Amino acid sequence: MKTEMLGIEIENLHLAFGPTRVLTGVNLSIKPGEFFAFLGPSGSGKSTLLRSIAGFGPRPSGAIRIGGRDVLDLPPWKRNVGMVFQSYALWPHLSVQENVAFGLRERKLPGAEITRRVEEALDLVGLSHLAARMPNQLSGGQQQRIALARTVVIEPQVLLLDEPLSNLDASLRVQMRRELLALQRKLGLTTIFVTHDQEEANSTSDRMAVLDKGVIQQIGRPQELYDHPANLFVARFLGTANVLEGRVEKRGEALRFVTGSGDALPLPMAAKAGPSSIVLRPQNITISPLCGPDTIIGQVLHSEFLGSQIRYIVQAAGSDLVIDKSHHMSEPTLPTGAEVALQVNMDSAVLLNA
Amino acid sequence: MKKLLTSSVAALGLMAGGALAAEKIVVVTSFPEEMTAVIEKAFETAHPDYDIEILNKSTSSGVKYIQEIASANTADVFWASAPDAFEVLKGDGKLAKIAPNATGIPDMIGSYPMNDADGHYYGFAASGYGIMWNTRYVEANGLEPAKEWADLEKPEYFGHVGMSAPSRSGTTHLTVETVLQGEGWEKGWADWKWMGGNFASVTERSFGVPDGVNTGSFGFGIVIDFFAFSSKASGFPVEFAYPTVTALVPANVGVIANAPNEKGAVTFVEYLLSPEGQKVLFDPAIMRLPVNPEVYAEAPEGLPNPFEDKSIGAAVKFDVDKSGARYYVVSSLFDVMITYRLEDLKAAVKAVQEAEAKHADGSNAEAKALIEEARALIEAMPITEEQSLDPAFNAAFTAVRKEAGDAIEARQAEIEQQWDAMVTENYRKAKELAEKAAAL
Amino acid sequence: MPQDTPRPADGTGLADRLPAFLFPRLSGAALAGLLIAIFLLGFLIFPVLQVVYVAFIDPRSGGLTLQNFADFFATSLFRESFVNSFYVSAMSVVVATIIALPLAYITTRFNFGGSALIQSLGFIPLIMPPFVGAVAMSLIFGRNGTVNLMLREHLGFTIPFMEGLNGVILVQSIHYFPFILINLSASLRNIDRSMEEAAQNLGSSGLRLFRKIVFPLAMPGYIAGAVLVFIKVFDDLGTPLLLNVNNMLAPQAYLRITSVGISDPMGYVISVILVAFSILSLWASFLVMRGKDYATVQKGGGGLAKRDLSGREKVIAYGAVLFILALVLSPHLGLLLLSFSTIWSFAPLPDGYTWANYIRMWEGSQDYILNTLLYAGIAALGDVILGTAIAYIVMRTGIVGRKCLDYMATAALAVPGVVLGIGYLRSFQGIEVPFLDKPLAQWWVIIAIALMIRRLPYALRACMAALQQVSVALEEAAESLGATKSRTIRRVVVPLMTGGILAGFVTSFATAAVELSATIMLVSSEADSPLAYGIYLFMQTPSGRGAGAALGIVAVIIVGLGTFLAQIIIERDKKLKTSGTEH
Repeated sequence: MKTEMLGIEIENLHLAFGPTRVLTGVNLSIKPGEFFAFLGPSGSGKSTLLRSIAGFGPRPSGAIRIGGRDVLDLPPWKRNVGMVFQSYALWPHLSVQENVAFGLRERKLPGAEITRRVEEALDLVGLSHLAARMPNQLSGGQQQRIALARTVVIEPQVLLLDEPLSNLDASLRVQMRRELLALQRKLGLTTIFVTHDQEEANSTSDRMAVLDKGVIQQIGRPQELYDHPANLFVARFLGTANVLEGRVEKRGEALRFVTGSGDALPLPMAAKAGPSSIVLRPQNITISPLCGPDTIIGQVLHSEFLGSQIRYIVQAAGSDLVIDKSHHMSEPTLPTGAEVALQVNMDSAVLLNA
Repeated sequence: MKKLLTSSVAALGLMAGGALAAEKIVVVTSFPEEMTAVIEKAFETAHPDYDIEILNKSTSSGVKYIQEIASANTADVFWASAPDAFEVLKGDGKLAKIAPNATGIPDMIGSYPMNDADGHYYGFAASGYGIMWNTRYVEANGLEPAKEWADLEKPEYFGHVGMSAPSRSGTTHLTVETVLQGEGWEKGWADWKWMGGNFASVTERSFGVPDGVNTGSFGFGIVIDFFAFSSKASGFPVEFAYPTVTALVPANVGVIANAPNEKGAVTFVEYLLSPEGQKVLFDPAIMRLPVNPEVYAEAPEGLPNPFEDKSIGAAVKFDVDKSGARYYVVSSLFDVMITYRLEDLKAAVKAVQEAEAKHADGSNAEAKALIEEARALIEAMPITEEQSLDPAFNAAFTAVRKEAGDAIEARQAEIEQQWDAMVTENYRKAKELAEKAAAL
Repeated sequence: MPQDTPRPADGTGLADRLPAFLFPRLSGAALAGLLIAIFLLGFLIFPVLQVVYVAFIDPRSGGLTLQNFADFFATSLFRESFVNSFYVSAMSVVVATIIALPLAYITTRFNFGGSALIQSLGFIPLIMPPFVGAVAMSLIFGRNGTVNLMLREHLGFTIPFMEGLNGVILVQSIHYFPFILINLSASLRNIDRSMEEAAQNLGSSGLRLFRKIVFPLAMPGYIAGAVLVFIKVFDDLGTPLLLNVNNMLAPQAYLRITSVGISDPMGYVISVILVAFSILSLWASFLVMRGKDYATVQKGGGGLAKRDLSGREKVIAYGAVLFILALVLSPHLGLLLLSFSTIWSFAPLPDGYTWANYIRMWEGSQDYILNTLLYAGIAALGDVILGTAIAYIVMRTGIVGRKCLDYMATAALAVPGVVLGIGYLRSFQGIEVPFLDKPLAQWWVIIAIALMIRRLPYALRACMAALQQVSVALEEAAESLGATKSRTIRRVVVPLMTGGILAGFVTSFATAAVELSATIMLVSSEADSPLAYGIYLFMQTPSGRGAGAALGIVAVIIVGLGTFLAQIIIERDKKLKTSGTEH
């Protein structure tokens, strides 16, 4: 069950529902065989974008090319893209076997081949023993696998997954996403995965696109996006981000970042003077016992014991900073109200021009 | 609320000893509102101390209604056409015996007794039965108006005739019985079957027939005269004729047993029979024949006077006892042989008509014999006149056991099934024979 | 008008005031079920038994017997009638489906101008006023109706639309297809759009998609509508009588029961068989539907995605819709023409037009109209209350014998109106209404109750379909938040059922507004008469046809407006419920 790998090109895609703009100027190139994630909060347009690729919803303007062919004017049933729905959309009146065989029957394949391929697909998801069941006799995870089997059995050019894990419980979700990835690798299917869960996107995708308000904010590998968010939205959406607002000032050769509260931090990277903000991850600020030249003073507001680390909320530099500190045995937690000095690792900071 | 108030006011008034409010007379009737409204108005003008409350029901619903409410009777007068309905109520003990004060009304209309011999109900208007036709329909289909029953048997009227069933309408029952008595049992039924073969449909309600003729669903209808008169008066392109064999029968009124307002009820009956009440029948919305010969002096043009024109209804000496004795048998026979098997009958009659048309000169003896045989099969009756009048046989249809020990031999369903088996087989065979004759 | 008299059988209030020991261990639902059962026994089963027990009595000896049933099966006319009734009912379902399916599909599946209007117009055929409806129908489709007169003049042939069993099938389909339209549309609206999209995604489209996925998913609604059509046609006597077709069961029963003076038990035997067969059909539909409760497995909701039509599709769709509407509404067009006509006889169109019929109608009919609104309103309100309660008890509780409520209520469908009417007279004539000093059988409220009982099956079907779509989880959520059972039903379940309840109300109201067969037995004074009775009075004279038609038009307009309003509310309700979903 190995299909030809095809890339997807999206060019200048626009879509509006009446006066509401749902997708604006989307440009995207997905490589053949890639596992690609659309990540964004609800209402960001990620599902709409996925449905546009599958051919559902109103026709957008622009272009969507699969394997070089513009599919925008093809109806869904002629696009040969497989989609797995958030609700799985297993037809309750058909058995598992009939559900999976549906797409093959539509393609009018010979009966023997249908039987063989359905068996293969059910084997692939490890549920061949449930072929005779009705969907409402299956657990959520089983339904999910059947939905997947039903989609891959037609050997689609690309596989679209619309929040496929959102209806599963947490432990199953982790297991299923590994299975999904393994399956994708095995089949070599170009796959797009829609999720609002950054962990899901990070852990599975080769690359991802972060969407907000119908606009792609940034495209890249998960790590790239985490380490080098292009804007505040991406920084905040991926992981926890401390954002300090202020301005870049030039003192001779040295650059420094001055917060609104007047605290100054040295800047190791090149930057233009002017209003700006920096993004600091919680692990890039350390609580130091000593006041140094590059430290800032803060006050502990709150602490949470998380096991491997302790998360402190510290008021400093005019905002509440989240700071993670590794936990070592018998080390006491700093009390609320304690004054602390903060050492900022400016090499890991991301400077965003306002 | 309003009603609650008025009834308590009325109750108070009665308790105080003086009837301040008008006294209510509840009249159950099958007559159309146009007719009852006119008479109600005239009566209330003449007797302002009474208030008529009309309850309009079909004859059969009316009879059922009076029977069902008898345990706590609230109705005073039953007022309808069909004497048979009154016979049923009388037999049930639901009609009071009264002696209204009325003069100038003969005992007989044509050959039909005007009033119930025992004084349970009284005739107040006469009606005759005949043929109504739609002139546009007749013209469009190139037909001649049919004026005698025999005309309606002719092949050119195939599919053009409508009628109600005697089990559905008391007036229709009288029509059927009139022909049976006028022509004799065997000949009469043969006539009905040949006419039945020309039916377009047998309507469920008696006013379905004038409706059918008025809309042009079928061209000819076998109806009671006032349906035709009032249709014509309303502007429909229809005409009416009394065939020679017809009977004039009275439409009746009676006081219900245990009537809450018997005095008022009798007053109403007396009013209907008075010359004043009789003249109201000339209203264009009513157009019925009064039973007091004197008022005809003021009759509108076109309304026949049966007391002068002796040709109407003279040919038949209508025997009410005979009609009553076999009432249900006749109704049932008509339904089994015609209503329920209309399609079979029509197919057989059509086949005979076609065979006869083909051998009109009568030169082919074999065909003639076959046709004769087919005709005989269609006309064959499951029972004789004697049987139809046998009280024991009739009991299967009424099944009202007089005493617990009364034995009734057969059940209606059983008898009807036997008849049905016979007529369907006869119609089938007749059709076969006629087709064979036509093929010669 | 005596509007402010209290309505009987008003529910559970009484129970609260009774000492607890009278009802040990009875939950509120069980108590409600018990009260409903008592109500149905008192106003349906008992009166009907009062009439039909004759079917089990030997007319000769007066003893109990099954001989009458043996006679039924021994009589070839009855056997034929049974086969004819079955054939006509089955074919009517087929033809009604052919009419309803495109309307339901097009209006729910596409962005189609005037969907609400079409859904309302599609409802109108149910409102066929008695007698005038028949006359109007024969003026349009009859042997010498408009269509056939024109066919004969221009093409030289005619079509026997209204003759024989096929005529009955045509007229019944036109009359009752709205049952399928309403239920199927509701079902289609409730299909999760991803169900359809998943199939499209796998390469399915068009009719195949409809046949293999959409229609099977809409099956619960379709079956609910189809079984209603089947039973209704099987039990209906109006249309066969109008077409003068006697060889069917219902008209046979009616003709035999209403024959003057004849006490042949066969009419009642046939009634019993009608009731039994209707319950059997219903039970069969339950069997077919078992395990097909799709509501709980559909998570997304939102209904089928509405699609825009291309230019060519638009032409086809509008063409189909207009053709169907023209066909099913032509009797009403005929009625309208008749109401404005002077004389209309053997002609494609009336001779002349006039307002006189409306003036004449208006002079004497305000009371009828007000009475109708009152009676049908009470009946429909009672129906949806009973319907919701029964639906809830049957579908969401484990009370022993709960299905019996459903069967009892539905059996009303098969009870000929005249049987119920006679039963009421027989049962309630001896019961005095306190303070009014008249028998219960002659109190106007009894007419409203008769209408309520007769139309309960319609409301019940609608309420059941609506409840089927309300997930149990929503109820559990409310209860987990501390709402009591009755509060949950009032605040969560009933509001979510609004669309279905409203549909039930409209169906009950509309059909009650033109009902005659039971009322004609029960009307005890003209001041208490409803509109259908007024039409009956007008129709008895040739000159009253126009006025009767005018009154019929008033009925159609009242009910049509009500339906349209309900449609708008249902659509708005639908939008509110789906506005939360986003993609």
